[in-house]
Amino acid sequence: MSEGSPHLVVGGVSKRYGPTTVLDHIDLTIRRGELVTLLGPSGCGKTTLLRAIAGLAQPDTGKVELAGRDITNVPPHKRNVGVVFQSYALFPHLTVAGNVAFGLKVRGMARREIDIAVERALSLVKLGHLAGRRISALSGGQQQRVALARAIAVEPDVLLFDEALSALDRKLREEMQVELRRLLQEVKATAIFVTHDQDEALTMSDRVAVMNKGRIEQLAEPRELYLRPASLFALNFVGLSTRISGTVLSADNGKVHVETKVGRLSALGSFQAGSPVIVAARPEQLRIGGGGETNSASGRVRSVVFQGSRTLVEVDAGAGESLLAELSGRDGAIPDVHDEIRLSWPVTETFAFPMEAQA
Amino acid sequence: MTEAALSAPVASPKVDRERLTAIGFVLPSFVIIAGVFALPLVLLLGVSFVDANGLTFANYKRLLGAPYYLWVIWNSLRLGLLTTLIAFLISYPAAFALARARGPLRSLLLATLFLPLAASVIVKAFAWTILLRSDGIVNETLIALGIIEDPIRMIFTETALIVGAVNIFLPFMILPIYAIVAQLDSRYAEAAATLGASPVVTFFRVILPLTLPGIIAGVALAFSLSVSAYVVPTLLIGEKYPTLATTIAKAYLLAREPGFGAAAGVVLLAIAIAVVALSARLSREPK
Repeated sequence: MSEGSPHLVVGGVSKRYGPTTVLDHIDLTIRRGELVTLLGPSGCGKTTLLRAIAGLAQPDTGKVELAGRDITNVPPHKRNVGVVFQSYALFPHLTVAGNVAFGLKVRGMARREIDIAVERALSLVKLGHLAGRRISALSGGQQQRVALARAIAVEPDVLLFDEALSALDRKLREEMQVELRRLLQEVKATAIFVTHDQDEALTMSDRVAVMNKGRIEQLAEPRELYLRPASLFALNFVGLSTRISGTVLSADNGKVHVETKVGRLSALGSFQAGSPVIVAARPEQLRIGGGGETNSASGRVRSVVFQGSRTLVEVDAGAGESLLAELSGRDGAIPDVHDEIRLSWPVTETFAFPMEAQA
Repeated sequence: MTEAALSAPVASPKVDRERLTAIGFVLPSFVIIAGVFALPLVLLLGVSFVDANGLTFANYKRLLGAPYYLWVIWNSLRLGLLTTLIAFLISYPAAFALARARGPLRSLLLATLFLPLAASVIVKAFAWTILLRSDGIVNETLIALGIIEDPIRMIFTETALIVGAVNIFLPFMILPIYAIVAQLDSRYAEAAATLGASPVVTFFRVILPLTLPGIIAGVALAFSLSVSAYVVPTLLIGEKYPTLATTIAKAYLLAREPGFGAAAGVVLLAIAIAVVALSARLSREPK
């Protein structure tokens, strides 16, 4: 199968638990070698979708195809998927090598081949020296690597990570994100990550599926997801933003002009006049100063948070609205708390979303 | 290594004090265990080497040399092994059922398991004699239903003995297994499945090894209780099935041969210890 062709196809998959719809007609197509993240808050259905792909949860409707094979009704042990669980689920009665060999042994592979494959998988995660250790003698980070080696060793058609990094501490997690992405690209694995951590999603994936209430709200590359959020939910869930409510006055050429409590603003989007909308912009688009063809609003600085390379400035724009600007010191002076300032940002970087979609 | 190097100079006086305190706390229990458990065992061992003529191996020679007593030992072993085996076959699935059950059903099942523990063994053994005797409930029911014409001989058979023993010692097998099964993470089975293991392979390669500690604890308990049972064989089968336990009682109460009784006690203890030690060995490293 060539790269770029559909490798994993989820078609119209729905799942209900009692009165709750956990998955609502999910469609998702993943190419071979692609790293995709299912991102969303707890209860959005991302783990259930992962389990449906692994065969650990049976969807009520829809189909799942993997590597050209319909696996909708195939039991998990015949699907050739690899799963790395949040708790790792390493077998405590086996050694590190025993865990990695497990999938190969149950496939009836010859002992010599198993030894070679185990050694290769362990060296890939840099744990070759711990092959004889017991699982309980490993740190959390090491256990994570063993779980990965165990899943990779069987050369699965798709690797599934269920919040696999969330048990690690922050620093280790950030290191693992980068290392894991490099490793998966090296072995040309197709992988799906489930996470509620937006940084993890943006760092590790080729594409991110933002999930909410059992549906995929947006499936996009990390950059596009951040720069062009398709919904208010996607905007809120990934990155920070300024959000101001208002009413559409007029619309032209894919732009709307909106009356808000902080003044008249323009944004990308098409709505009928009179529609209630939320106007939003990413904090790094806001600059001190104003005028010209840009949106602008003024107010009193409420807080200044220094974050190293940049500073987050929150401005009280009055009428319950606030502005969030991310300033790099280079652009000019960082204001002090209680300063009266004017902020402006380009119309082309301003989004409008329907008000009622607010989650 | 660095940890030890860093902590050693600072900690030594403190450790000594802590150790003294610890010894102070442990000492009373140690004295009680020594006095109540160890001392009688030592006395038992001593007495087993004594008869009317002084120090001797005669008690052991008589016990291990006579075919009759070898048969007695075999009876005890048979009772212990059969009870343990059958109890295990019932307990293992029962423990899973118990762990899967939720809400009121689970409480009900646990209660049915715990309540019989509150009743004396004698009461339960007598209950079985009432059920199983020729004019007992089981026979009368079968006759009333027309399934049999004449009562079947059930009481005073080995079947009755094993049925009673399994019933009485079952909770001691189920509870340790249940304790392990209840905390078994379902992710282990899922991980095995995604790695390509069928449910049967998952059971033998993952579930069984992970629940082994519970099985071993249950086997050790059920076996040591049933191999040394006295009331159950006495009431449910009687004279024709002498065991080490009934032999000990006879030696002390009727024959007035404390040395011989003590030797039988030591042999019984040795059998129980051997099984428990074997279990502990098996549970350590199943690799």
